[in-house]
Amino acid sequence: MKKMNRREFITKSSAAAAATAAFAHYPGAAFSQVVGTGAPFPDYKALVCVFLFGGNDSYNMVVPRSTPEYTVYANSRQNMAIAQQELLPINPLSGAVAQYGLHPSMPGIQGLFETGAAALINNTGPLVQPTSKLEYQTGGVALPPQLFSHNDQQDQWHSLKGAGVSKTGWAGRIADLIRTNVVGQQLATNVSLFGSSLYQSADETVAYVMGNNGPIAFTGFPDPNNPNPDPNLEALLVAQRTAFEQIIGANYATVYERGFAQIQQRAVATADLVSVALANAQPLNTVFPATQLGNELNTVARLIAARNDLSMDRQIFFVAAGGFDTHDDQLVNHAGRLLEVSEAMTAFYDAMGELQLSDSVTAFTQSDFSRTLTSNGDGTDHGWGGIQLVVGDAVVGQRMYGTYPDLALNSPDDVGGGRLIPTISSDQYAATLAKWFGIPDVDLDVVAPNLANFQSRDLGFLA
Amino acid sequence: MKKLSLVSIAATLMLSLSACGGSSGGTPSPPGPPPPPPPPPPVVTTSEAFQLLNQATFGATQAEAQQVIAMGIEGWIDDQMQQPASLQLPYLRSLPRPMNVAELHADRVDVWFRNVMNGEDQLRQRVAFALSEILVVSQIGGLTLAPYSVGDYYDQLSLHAFGNYRDLMEVVTLHPAMGVYLSMLGNQKPDPVLNIRPDENYARELMQLFTIGLVELNLDGSTKLNPQNQPIPTYDQAIIEGFAHVNTGWTYAGAPNFLQARRTDDNQTIPMELYPAYHDTGPKSILNGVTIPAGQTGEQDLQMALDNVFEHENVGPFLAYRLIQRLVTSNPSPGYIQRVATVFDDNGSGVRGDLGAVVKAILLDDEARPDMPMEIDGKIKEPLLRLTQLWRAYNASSQSGEFPLVGASVIFGQGPGQSPSVFNFFSPFFAPAGEIRNSGLVAPELEIATEYQNTFVTSYFFLTTFGWNSENPNLAPDNVAIDISEEIAIADDTDALIDMVAAKLLAGDISATLRTEIAGMVDLIGVADAANRTAEAIFLVVSSPEFAYQR
Repeated sequence: MKKMNRREFITKSSAAAAATAAFAHYPGAAFSQVVGTGAPFPDYKALVCVFLFGGNDSYNMVVPRSTPEYTVYANSRQNMAIAQQELLPINPLSGAVAQYGLHPSMPGIQGLFETGAAALINNTGPLVQPTSKLEYQTGGVALPPQLFSHNDQQDQWHSLKGAGVSKTGWAGRIADLIRTNVVGQQLATNVSLFGSSLYQSADETVAYVMGNNGPIAFTGFPDPNNPNPDPNLEALLVAQRTAFEQIIGANYATVYERGFAQIQQRAVATADLVSVALANAQPLNTVFPATQLGNELNTVARLIAARNDLSMDRQIFFVAAGGFDTHDDQLVNHAGRLLEVSEAMTAFYDAMGELQLSDSVTAFTQSDFSRTLTSNGDGTDHGWGGIQLVVGDAVVGQRMYGTYPDLALNSPDDVGGGRLIPTISSDQYAATLAKWFGIPDVDLDVVAPNLANFQSRDLGFLA
Repeated sequence: MKKLSLVSIAATLMLSLSACGGSSGGTPSPPGPPPPPPPPPPVVTTSEAFQLLNQATFGATQAEAQQVIAMGIEGWIDDQMQQPASLQLPYLRSLPRPMNVAELHADRVDVWFRNVMNGEDQLRQRVAFALSEILVVSQIGGLTLAPYSVGDYYDQLSLHAFGNYRDLMEVVTLHPAMGVYLSMLGNQKPDPVLNIRPDENYARELMQLFTIGLVELNLDGSTKLNPQNQPIPTYDQAIIEGFAHVNTGWTYAGAPNFLQARRTDDNQTIPMELYPAYHDTGPKSILNGVTIPAGQTGEQDLQMALDNVFEHENVGPFLAYRLIQRLVTSNPSPGYIQRVATVFDDNGSGVRGDLGAVVKAILLDDEARPDMPMEIDGKIKEPLLRLTQLWRAYNASSQSGEFPLVGASVIFGQGPGQSPSVFNFFSPFFAPAGEIRNSGLVAPELEIATEYQNTFVTSYFFLTTFGWNSENPNLAPDNVAIDISEEIAIADDTDALIDMVAAKLLAGDISATLRTEIAGMVDLIGVADAANRTAEAIFLVVSSPEFAYQR
C-alpha cells in the first residue's frame, strides 16, 4: 500500500498525461515495442509457459517405481499413493537414482519422454540461495517470503523476485531485453491466453491478452474477413469504429480513464490484425482435446502458424489450467488434471511437428508449488519444491535433471509434513529457458535476479 | 419482489415528500417555545447524488438521485440501512424440484440480478457484493453441486452487511459453502499412523484474505517495519497449523456420523456441526503469542480462535482498504484508511467491528466527495456494475422477468458467485504497467479489463443497446431490454437526445469529445430511425472511458 504523496503525483503525472495524449491519436502505436534498434534474430523461437494453478502434486506425477523407493513413497503418502503397478514406466538416460513411472493418466507424456522429446526437472522451486534444512530451521539463509501461500508463490514463479520486490515478470523482462531486436513484430512478444499475469508484466513492453480461442472481434465494427455486403451499412460500421477510436484516444483527466483507454486502444488496434492473420494461416490437422488447456494450446499453435503474417521472430505465450489445489478428493481430481495436461501438451507437440517447428518451440510447466507428501484425509496441502515438465525437440530429452528428492518424511529435504526444499531454483530453470531463447549470458541475471547465488547458470536441458 | 419503475419511484418520492410536509402541519404544536429548527442538510447537487449512488448502489438513476437530494446524503444512507435484505434462498427454494444444479445456479445468478436491479436495499446489496469479493466462495470448484449453499452464503453477507464483523466471521467460518470451498468441512484431527494432518486451507485464507493479511499494518494501512526495515509477518507456518487444528471436527449438521456426512438439499444451508470425536484437543498456537489450552471443546477453541483473529490490530486497516476500494476509490490516502479503520476499532460507542458504521464512515468521508477531485480519486467500475448501471438507468426488464446471465463471468470476466478462485476476480494490489504502476498506484478492476474482456464487454453493450431495447418488436421473452421510449420522443433532435442520455448515465457531465463523436454518428443515421439514433448515443456513452470511470 505504499503510495506517493498525492501532490507529488499530480506534478509528476502531467508529463505522463502529455505522453499519453501524444500517441493517443495513433491507436496502432499503442503497441509499439520500439525504442531503438538491435540485430534481428535469424530464426523463429517460442516459449510456451503452461502454468498449473493451485499447486501440482508432482510427486504423484513422477513416482519411484522400483520397490525400495516405492515403499518409502507409499509409507509417506499412505492413502494418497498411486498404486505401483499402475505407474507408466519411463527410463531416464540420466539423472535417475531409481526407476520411475508417470501418473497413469499421462501416456502421452510417457511417449514424449521415451522418444526424447520431454525432460523432467526435479525438485524445482523458488529459492533465494541454496538452502539446507538446518539453514531453513535456524534462519541461516534468506527465503522467499510467504512460502506455501498460493498467490505469493505464483508471484515468485512469475517474477523470480526472491526476497526482493518486483513488479515485472521474467517473461516481461525478456521482452524488454529483446525489444530492439524485434522491431518488425506486429504483435507483442508476450501473449496471454489466460488473463493478465505478472509473468508477462514489463517496464517497457505490454503483453497482449486474448481469449482461450484467440481474440474476438468488436461487434459493431467492420469485419476485416467479411465486409458487409451493404456498402451503406459498411460505411456506418467504419464510421462507428472511427468514432470509438476518437473517444478512446481523447485526453482524460484521471489515471483510471487513461489506463482503461489504453487497453481499448490496444484491443482495437490488434484484434483485426490477429484475426486476419489467423484466417490466412496454414490450417492444422492435429486434433486437440476439447479441454481448456487443449483449446488454449490449439490457439497458440494457430498463432504460431500465423507467425509470418505478423512478422514474429520471438514469442512467449502464457497458458494455464486450474484445479490443482487438491485439498479434497485428490486421487480423482488430480488424475483428471494430469490427463488434461498430458493430452494437450502432446497434441501441441504434434502440431509443432506438423509446422516443422518442434525444435523451435519449447513448452514448459510452472506451478505454485508441489504439495505435502502427508495428507489431510482425502487431499493434500501446500508444499514447496516440485517437478517440472519440458517438451519440444530442442529438449535434451528422456532425462531427469537435478536430484529426485528423498520422499521419506523428516528426510533432509523435508521441512515438515512432506514439504520439500527445492534443490534447483526457479531462477536456474528460467535462465536455462531464457538462454535457449536467445538472451545473452550477461543478461540472464536480469531475467533471473537470484541466479548468481547458484552454481549452475544452465541446467543443460535445452540445446 | 416489488417491481421498480421510474413511475413507482416517482410515486414513492411524492408520497414521502407529502408525508414530510404533513407531519409539520398536521399535528398540534406542543406547548412551550418551539424547538430550534434543525440545520438544513447540505444542498446536494445532481452530480454529487450520482457520485454517491454509483459508490453505494448498483447504478445511479435520476429518480434515486432525487431521493438523495431530498433526504441529504446521510439521510439517504440511514434510510438505506433500514431496508430489509433482498434474499436469494427463499426464491431458489420456491422453484419446483427436481431441478439440476446447473439450472439452479442459473436461477441463483438470475435472482442476484433481480435483487441488485430492483431491490430497495441497494446499499446493503452493494456492500454484500463488496464482501463477496473479500470473503470469496464460488460455484467454480467444489460448490458446483451446491447452488442453495452459494445462494444462502450470499444472503448471509446481505444480512450481516451492516452488522458486526466478528459475527460475520463466525457465520462465514461455519457456513457449509465456505466449509466445502476451503475444505474445513470434514477436516479431522491428526492421525499419525496414516500421516494425516489437519487441513490448512481455511486456516491460511481466514488470515491472509479475510482478516489480517500477510504483514503487520499501521492503522493507516501502511506496512509496519522492524528495525531492519523489513515487513513483519503476521503469522508463520506453526500458527497456520494451530488454526488448522482448531478447525477440526466440523461437517454437515445432522449427519449420522462424521465420516459419512453427505450434502443434502437441506444441510447445505445450515451451519456446520461439531463432531467432538474428530476434534483435536491438544494445545494450539494462535496469533500474538496466544496458546489455546488443551482439553477445550471444539466450540470453545473456535470462539477463542475467532476472537484472537478479530482482535488483531490489522483487521481495521485491512478491511477499510478493501471496502474503500470496492466502493469509492482504488487509492485511498493513508488518512482515509485510518479514519475508517478507527471507526472499525470503535464505532464511537465502544464497539469494535461495526460494519454499518464502517460503511457510513467510508461514504461520508471528505475523500469520497472531494471538493477538488484529483486524478487518482475514484476508480474503474467493475464490468458488472457498468451493466447494472445501464440497466437501472434505463429500467431494463425482460418479458419473463428473468435476467438470464449465467454466462456473466464469460462476458464480463466476473459473475455473482463465479470467482475463478478464493483470490477474487482481481487483486487489491493489481497495478497495470505504465503510469499507474510507475506512480506506486493500483487499479484492481483493470486486472480483468484485458483487451479480450473489454472487447467482449463492448460488444455486449453494442448488442444490448441496438438489439434489446423497447423499440424492438421481436424480443424473446428472456431478452433484457432497456426502455428508450423517452428518448424516442425527442430523438430527431441530436442535442436533446445527447442531453437526455448524458443526464441519465453521466449526471450530464459529458466530455466535449464524447458529445462531438456521438453527434457525428447520430447525424449519420436518418431522423426517422429514432431507435438506432438512440441506441448509438447510449452505446457510445456506455463503452466510453468516462462511463467506465467511477468518480
